[in-house]
Amino acid sequence: MARLYIFAIGGTGSRVLKSLTMLLASGIKPNSNKEFEIVPIIIDPHKSNDDLKRTERLLGNYQAISEAAGHTNGFFNTKITTLDKLVSSENRLAKSFTFNLQEVGGKKFKEYIDFNQLDPSNSALADILFSGKSINKSGEEVNLLDVEMDIGFVGNPNIGSVVLNQFKDSEEFKEFASNYNEEDRVFIISSIFGGTGAAGFPTILKNIRDAMNNTNINGNMFLQDAKIGAISVMPYFNIESDPESPINKSDFISKTKSALYYYKDNVTGNNSINALYYILDEHNGNPYENDPGDNGQQNNAHIIEMISALSIIDFLEIPDNELETLNGKASRPIYKEFGIRKDSHDVILPDFEDKTQNKIGLNLSQLALFRKYLSENLTKSVEKQPWSIGEPQLNKMFFEQSFYNTNLKDFMNRFGEWLTELSINNRGFSPFNLDSTLDALVKGKTVKSGWLSKNVDYTLYDDTLNSKSKGRSYSSSEQKLLSLFFESSEEILKSKFGF
Amino acid sequence: MIDFFASLYEWFGLNPFYRTDFGELLRGYDATCTGYIDSPWYSYIGMIMIILTSLIYAFQYHIIDSSGFNKKKHWWLMSLVIISLNFFIAFIIPFNIIQSSNYCTSLNVAVVDCLGFGFSNAIWSFILFLLISTPPIFRKLSHNCRETTFYRP
Repeated sequence: MARLYIFAIGGTGSRVLKSLTMLLASGIKPNSNKEFEIVPIIIDPHKSNDDLKRTERLLGNYQAISEAAGHTNGFFNTKITTLDKLVSSENRLAKSFTFNLQEVGGKKFKEYIDFNQLDPSNSALADILFSGKSINKSGEEVNLLDVEMDIGFVGNPNIGSVVLNQFKDSEEFKEFASNYNEEDRVFIISSIFGGTGAAGFPTILKNIRDAMNNTNINGNMFLQDAKIGAISVMPYFNIESDPESPINKSDFISKTKSALYYYKDNVTGNNSINALYYILDEHNGNPYENDPGDNGQQNNAHIIEMISALSIIDFLEIPDNELETLNGKASRPIYKEFGIRKDSHDVILPDFEDKTQNKIGLNLSQLALFRKYLSENLTKSVEKQPWSIGEPQLNKMFFEQSFYNTNLKDFMNRFGEWLTELSINNRGFSPFNLDSTLDALVKGKTVKSGWLSKNVDYTLYDDTLNSKSKGRSYSSSEQKLLSLFFESSEEILKSKFGF
Repeated sequence: MIDFFASLYEWFGLNPFYRTDFGELLRGYDATCTGYIDSPWYSYIGMIMIILTSLIYAFQYHIIDSSGFNKKKHWWLMSLVIISLNFFIAFIIPFNIIQSSNYCTSLNVAVVDCLGFGFSNAIWSFILFLLISTPPIFRKLSHNCRETTFYRP
């Protein structure tokens, strides 16, 4: 199976990866003959970033669920794995989705570059390149050279580009390079208006294309001509104005322009990327709290992050022959943007163009329906309905084990949390009435009714589960749970909601 | 067929719930006391019991066939309906015959025999319902009641 290595850089990278995990959990797959295994690598110096921690936990849950249930059940049917699992011999990597940036924790930038050891001319150059002010962990204003990097690069890509360049010498990069095969692909997620993402994207891209010249790795010839896609997330949210903070909304556009100007020569201008997705939202919604990183940096999920995640699915649908690369240059680079049918403050499924609706509508609704059943009706039906009693049993004991009680339940709680965050954000995405009755679950969809038509309620849900499980055999309880609910929710949504 | 149902309702001679003369009436002993040429009530009522019980089984397991009506409490509710109807039918038919005196009056029968026969029919209908619905032969064809028996779920 081919692999897609996803480099998720910075807070936006983690949040887009979280959205991708939700989409994959719902069963969304690229419309392609090729199957891909996803290998996410999160790159963020800000280890205490709550968005990063949430994404890591979510990926851990996903991995545990899909390993136990297999990958042919509709839900969770794309394999996600950590880089360490690809290493067959001595395992030198942490079992983590996060790239471990060395020597960043607790260090000031000037210590990282050994500023005090520089000769006078280099010291003067560093002074010029890294002039300016930022803040430390206590929120006090400091010189840029005195920034402590364990809260990220605080919107300073000039620092980020230096620090992230260590990636090419890391164990992770070596393992990635030695495992990369011709049919594999790479995708890089980054924002362009901050520090970590803006710096990380061109740095990682350059390191991959130059892998042949990297003496630290066994020059992998496939890497130079790797099929690389990326999304560059431009400003999409508003932040509170805070004169004490180094992060200002007004800087977003100027930073974006500067970065795009740099990309013009070093990314798009030299054809080093095969497919580049741009996304931007000028909607002026409710501002986020202005947190440079010292308070954990947890932002609500945003529709732009979900759409950005769709770019990864889209990238996987591009045929190999359209991603041809020769001597590190894309033969026919592809550039894409995204639009919606209706410029709504609170987007629902019909506000998307048909292609997007068809891609996500049914699957997301299936997972929402599955989640609703688990939270509202499971206890009433376990050991009471044939789908639960039939072999392999889905009995109370099964639902007390870690597959459900730790991983699936946790994942579903986070899915609900994600949907809630998406809906309360502005611009929001609220395709579901999460607290409504089943028949009103999907906004913009009217349930078909008639004299002989059954109501959409949990009796119908159980009827469908019982019907779908009749005469079927399953390899395990875990597989049964996922595939049964996938098929049943699909049937209900198609027959009653008109998907 | 008469002998078959007669032996069932008379509990193979072990413990009939009604007098022997009442059994003669049910065998079709005619009003003129000449022979067994009247309606064979054992067969009729026995067949009604089988058909009615089967229909009610089919109604629950294959027509309603709902996840909202597949618990053991629903099984017991349907068995109550089966028992009641079969008791009523087995009681009311001979009761009307006795009330209209349209039987061989030399037979020693009374209303209490109708109650005994009704009781016997009710028990057999319950046993039949139990036999149809406990082994999975028939119920496995149901979508929602394929696990429904008198003891679960």
